[in-house]
Amino acid sequence: MNQPELIVQLQQGDGSAFKKLVDEWQDMVYNTALGIVQNADDADDITQEVFIQVYRSVSSFKGDSKFSTWLYRITLGKALDHEKKKKRKKRFGFVQGLFGADGAEQAHAVEFEHPGVQLEKKERAGELFSALKQLPDNQRIAFTLHKLEGQSYQQVAEIMNTTLYAVESLMSRAKTNLRKELKKYYENSIAE
Amino acid sequence: MNKQEQINKLVEAALDSVDDAQRAEAKPYLFTRIQARMSKENATVWEKMGWFITRPAVAFTGICMIVLINAAVIFYNKTGTPVTNTELAVQNTTDEFSYTVSGIYDIENTQP
Repeated sequence: MNQPELIVQLQQGDGSAFKKLVDEWQDMVYNTALGIVQNADDADDITQEVFIQVYRSVSSFKGDSKFSTWLYRITLGKALDHEKKKKRKKRFGFVQGLFGADGAEQAHAVEFEHPGVQLEKKERAGELFSALKQLPDNQRIAFTLHKLEGQSYQQVAEIMNTTLYAVESLMSRAKTNLRKELKKYYENSIAE
Repeated sequence: MNKQEQINKLVEAALDSVDDAQRAEAKPYLFTRIQARMSKENATVWEKMGWFITRPAVAFTGICMIVLINAAVIFYNKTGTPVTNTELAVQNTTDEFSYTVSGIYDIENTQP
């Protein structure tokens, strides 16, 4: 069954079409979410939410863009919402801590290990992911889509609904900021 | 190699560390979990209430509250104001030999 047929069947409420869709796209959705939230359980949660939303709103998919583009946008939206919620909880936890509540304030986040990274590069990759968290959302998205999902700059521009030039600029700024963060980190760790 | 060169090398190594990364695979039985989540979200109010009440912590708390309330009621009834036998006897005699006749005759008849 090809993609357009699958979408049509899904729009007609076909349960088996939904299963085929999940089987085909689950790794893409999971990997994208994982790149943003850097936590396997959260990424799994987000993946479920994405497919539930796809099931509920597939009738609104008009085919103006590719299905994968639509799916990436939903995934990135859910992942970023999740990050915003987490930041709000952290802020509230800090306020609770001021009033003597037993809030859990982590001094330094545990480094994330992406399961797809080669063993000999895991340590450096963990440091990269920590630095990635410091980037603004747009730069983070562009970097994740290009480096982790292997999307070309043109494809990234389509997903982010922007121009190729804008994506090139985002990637350039992302790399500059990452170099800055990593340099800071290595200067401190070598000095210790 | 001086410190700055060492740092630069590490930075470039970090930036290149995800170049050959494979896509992470989703956890197994994802579709089953999605179905379970969807049916939970579609549950009726009664079904949701049922799930909530059958949670062990909620059920245990509810049972304890019922037992405590029953115990409090029983305890309160047992320890009500004590009435002695003498007081009861006096009350019974007064009731039996009461000369007070209340009727419309007495109310309207004001003559001694």
